[in-house]
Amino acid sequence: MYKIDILRRSFRSLLSAKARTLLTAFAIAVGTFALTLTLGASNGARNYGDTLIKNNFDPTELIVSKDKNFFSNTSSSQPQEYNPSFGNITSDTGNVRQVQMLNDNDLSRLGQINGVSTVRPAVSLALQYITRDGQRKYVATLQAYSAYKAPDLLAGNIPNKFPSRSIVLPEAYLSSLGFNNAHDAIGQTVRLAVKKQFDQSAALSSILSGNASSIASSLNSSSNSAELPFKIIAVTQKPSALIQPGSALYIYTSNTDLITLNDFTTTGSANFHKYLSAYIQVKNGTNIADLNAVQSKIKDAGYSAQSVIDTEKTLTQVINVLQGIVTVFGLIAVVASVFGVINTMYISVLQRTREIGLMKALGMHKKDINRLFRIEAALLGFLGGLLGSIVAAVMGTLLNPWISNKLGLGSARLLQFKLSQVVILIAVLIFVAILAGLLPARKASRLDPIEALRTE
Amino acid sequence: MITVNKLTKTYGKNDNEFVALKDVSFSIPDKSTVAITGKSGSGKSTLMHIMSGLDRPTSGSVVIGKTDLYKMKANDIDNFRANQMSFIFQSFFVEANQTCYRNVMLPLEIAKINITKRKSLVLEALKAVGLESKVYNLAGTLSGGQKQRLAIARAIVNRPSIVFADEPTGNLDTITGDKIMNLLFGLNEKLGSTIVLVTHDLDLAKRCQMQIHLKDGYIESKGKLTSKQLI
Repeated sequence: MYKIDILRRSFRSLLSAKARTLLTAFAIAVGTFALTLTLGASNGARNYGDTLIKNNFDPTELIVSKDKNFFSNTSSSQPQEYNPSFGNITSDTGNVRQVQMLNDNDLSRLGQINGVSTVRPAVSLALQYITRDGQRKYVATLQAYSAYKAPDLLAGNIPNKFPSRSIVLPEAYLSSLGFNNAHDAIGQTVRLAVKKQFDQSAALSSILSGNASSIASSLNSSSNSAELPFKIIAVTQKPSALIQPGSALYIYTSNTDLITLNDFTTTGSANFHKYLSAYIQVKNGTNIADLNAVQSKIKDAGYSAQSVIDTEKTLTQVINVLQGIVTVFGLIAVVASVFGVINTMYISVLQRTREIGLMKALGMHKKDINRLFRIEAALLGFLGGLLGSIVAAVMGTLLNPWISNKLGLGSARLLQFKLSQVVILIAVLIFVAILAGLLPARKASRLDPIEALRTE
Repeated sequence: MITVNKLTKTYGKNDNEFVALKDVSFSIPDKSTVAITGKSGSGKSTLMHIMSGLDRPTSGSVVIGKTDLYKMKANDIDNFRANQMSFIFQSFFVEANQTCYRNVMLPLEIAKINITKRKSLVLEALKAVGLESKVYNLAGTLSGGQKQRLAIARAIVNRPSIVFADEPTGNLDTITGDKIMNLLFGLNEKLGSTIVLVTHDLDLAKRCQMQIHLKDGYIESKGKLTSKQLI
């Protein structure tokens, strides 16, 4: 029998038992549905992660810390000994851990490493407030502008050399500070207020020496805070959550001004000129080999360093674990459907015993009978795979905006389907279905035609 | 010519041994009609199965033309059956959920007949049995007589040299059975196939050119048999 005739006969056989075929295909479709969604979600998560990193990290930069625990997100199960010279990091879950901080000597050492272009401490300064004449005061966060971030501007422009005493204001502050629109704000002056940090150890010493009144006078002293005028040179558009999650209220200034303000707030405290991490620009950092070489040198010097690639790896690892968990559930569904295919094929063999006997009597080879049933199983796998992936794709496409909205992903889509993956998935399901059909097919091909024809 | 030579078939071993055929020999000329008769358990179905290559003898041979059936490999016997033989069964064995066209197509698919020639062969066979108006009807919707005519169409579509018919009128009323046999014998004259008929039916056996009467696995008589023997 020609293969095409066997294929047609298998197809007709499945069509003649529509309910059984559909129910078995549905069982396969459930697993396919779960696996297609898993693949779509992991594609989306990977792309989201890639975009997130691409828009937030300069690939030619390394993030350096003096403490390897800085890059660890896991909380230790053992208590950590307190060290007054260490800085505190509070995790998302509220756990506090201490890490060794970088000082000026460290920054100087790092700057002297061969291949390092520039070193800048990573500072995110919590302003006391931002205000403008006749307007209320608002809390704000000040960050150093990096050309790499290249935010979308509503008005103004940012020169290559960021001007002194200037800021880039986020759109969100416009109406709060009394501007009609972004263009109105350009060239206008706002005032940024900073306040010195409260030095707990100094206060404790004063209290122990019976000089508590000096703390109160110190806190109230006008020299403890400063309000400085800054000129607005540009207004940034509200960033997509995809580009910089949580950055909608970041005010950007030059690195020099940021450090000056940070120094003011930390003067006299244990945190003066101490930083949790620093950004190191690598000469010719687009070259991975050069980047890795500098990273190795930094590590050899006793520091921890992470590149964008490392960050990506960490993110990918998390995605892989999540993908693995969901995939296991999908595979369990597929395995369950395999038994469905075996059952269906056995029933088919039993119901068609006389047909098999007739085909054998008419001269059909054993191998062709075997092939007939294997193709039927393959068609079941194909149908189930197609059904599951189509439903997943349609549902995913319809649900994408809702999911993005709920997860705050902006215009990004979590479920991203790739045709090549779906094709491979269906091919794998066909193969699995063929494996499931092997035993029933073997039974059919081995039927004695005389006995088969006698079957009632 | 079909030559059956010293055919023996036993089932089981030692105390459970059952001899279904004992030293059966005969010859059937080409294009003739032969009836194999006998009581239930006489070995007539076993003989038909061995003659058609569906079962293997314990000893002896079946030579069709110049081909010794049991000197061939299983696949070659299948091919031989696909090209030279066909079957008509008491229970019709039509695929109820397929059209008449698809039912008659089956032997052509198995024999790997050129796809371009198939349609005309199927339509011709259906016309020969008077089912030209039922080509695309489902086989399950046909009457018993029509189903057997469909089975005959399926049996003649690949122009076999031998047609084995196992109680072809067993499930039909007398009038319909007569019509079917008239059709079968008419096709034998027209197409020149050898018809090997396994039957209990006295009148049907009488219409064949030769009768082989089996009793307990032996040939009790062969040639033109008496009505008494046929009973």
